[in-house]
Amino acid sequence: MVVLERHTTDASPTKSEENFATFHSQAHFWGRLTIWSVIICTIALPLYLSFGLGYHPGWSVILTGFLSYGAVVSIIWFVEPISYYPILGVSGTYLAFLTGNIGNMCLPSASIAQSIVKAEPGTRKGEVTATLAISAASIVNTTMLIAVILGGSYLINALPESIRASFSFVLPAIFGGVLAQFALKKPVWGIGAIGLGIFAALGPVPPSFQTFICIAGTVLFAVILEKMKAGEQAS
Amino acid sequence: MNLASEIMDHPILWVIAFVVVLIVIFQAIVFIRISKKVAPEVGLTNKEVTSIIRTGAISSLGPSFAIIIVAISLITLIGEPTTMMRIGIVGSAPIETVGASLGAEAAGEQLSDKNFSAQAFTAAVWTMCLGGMGWLIVTTLFTKSLGRLQSKLTSGGGNRAKWLSVISTAAMIGAFGYFGGGQIAKGMNETIIFIVALLVMPVIMWAAQRFNQNWLREWSLGLVILIGMSVGYFLI
Repeated sequence: MVVLERHTTDASPTKSEENFATFHSQAHFWGRLTIWSVIICTIALPLYLSFGLGYHPGWSVILTGFLSYGAVVSIIWFVEPISYYPILGVSGTYLAFLTGNIGNMCLPSASIAQSIVKAEPGTRKGEVTATLAISAASIVNTTMLIAVILGGSYLINALPESIRASFSFVLPAIFGGVLAQFALKKPVWGIGAIGLGIFAALGPVPPSFQTFICIAGTVLFAVILEKMKAGEQAS
Repeated sequence: MNLASEIMDHPILWVIAFVVVLIVIFQAIVFIRISKKVAPEVGLTNKEVTSIIRTGAISSLGPSFAIIIVAISLITLIGEPTTMMRIGIVGSAPIETVGASLGAEAAGEQLSDKNFSAQAFTAAVWTMCLGGMGWLIVTTLFTKSLGRLQSKLTSGGGNRAKWLSVISTAAMIGAFGYFGGGQIAKGMNETIIFIVALLVMPVIMWAAQRFNQNWLREWSLGLVILIGMSVGYFLI
């Protein structure tokens, strides 16, 4: 099946290390297979509209549309997977970037689950926990989406306007809740992160770099604090 | 000239959209299976695995509903199957609306126009699909290299694993600082809800610990969302 890739220089990797390497190579295999399949579908749909049904708008129109959209999002294609990788790990990255809704669904679900089993992000336990939680979230989200598209949309439209409006408060509630959880363990890091977040949102920061600045800034801040702590203990 | 509304729910579009969402579900099921297999190795009991899956599912209910409510607005613009395909994978309703509008404009038309043509619809779909493909391609091409880099960093032993955990935790906090800051910048109501959630979450976690109620922990994010929405309901 999948070829095992081992990059550790250790002479004899332990059994559990080997099993974890197997887990990663399986994640690479299935992650790539599923994402390539979706990429093919993604291109098949407009191709069919253009040449199957014959509504091709012309390549120059497509290029114009793509370039103006690309001007907005192309940096984010790179910034997001790289910024979120330390949190999501190999398996979490494949999952979260296929199913989407990383900030509002995948990360909060993963981080609450990690707190329940006391797993730190970035550890093996943390990665497996995140993968399980994001998978479950992805299944729920996709199933609900299918159900609503197939027949429930009029139900949602039938909801009173005031209730529908209050759904716009889901996001601040999630972000506040998850941050509080971290703030209990790392209050200073939390304060630094909110400070950076407000600066990124209101300060002169180009939108495509906001995520990166907040994540890299908080990491730098935390590393400096930890180094100082380690230095104090040593002296 | 054909109108977009005549082809928006063409059967082939439905088929492709279904294949996409089924692949997403399939991927999640495969990842649950391979994670379950490795779970004992990383120190997770069967009971914990079940609890994690339940937590992920519960925590995603609120966000999923919110995502879908926003997504519904896309149906009137681009039809059911294309909405299902675009919302089912990377991307969100606001960004897809931007993509679709830019595509339609490139064809010299407006998305919401009654006489929106099939050609302009095709241009909108091309823009959304090509634009969204960027994330997928970067992920599928570079995740392996990132993984290699990570294992190289941790294979040195000593303190490196500890530092990697510091970096990952700080990255997670930084990401939520960014999301939170964005909400605070939106206005007073969002700021109030954000602070309410910030205060309620520790209370729920404390109660779960104090009375030894694990279900309360699994429901914590769901409860925080409900409380936030209720407070919001009275604010507006």
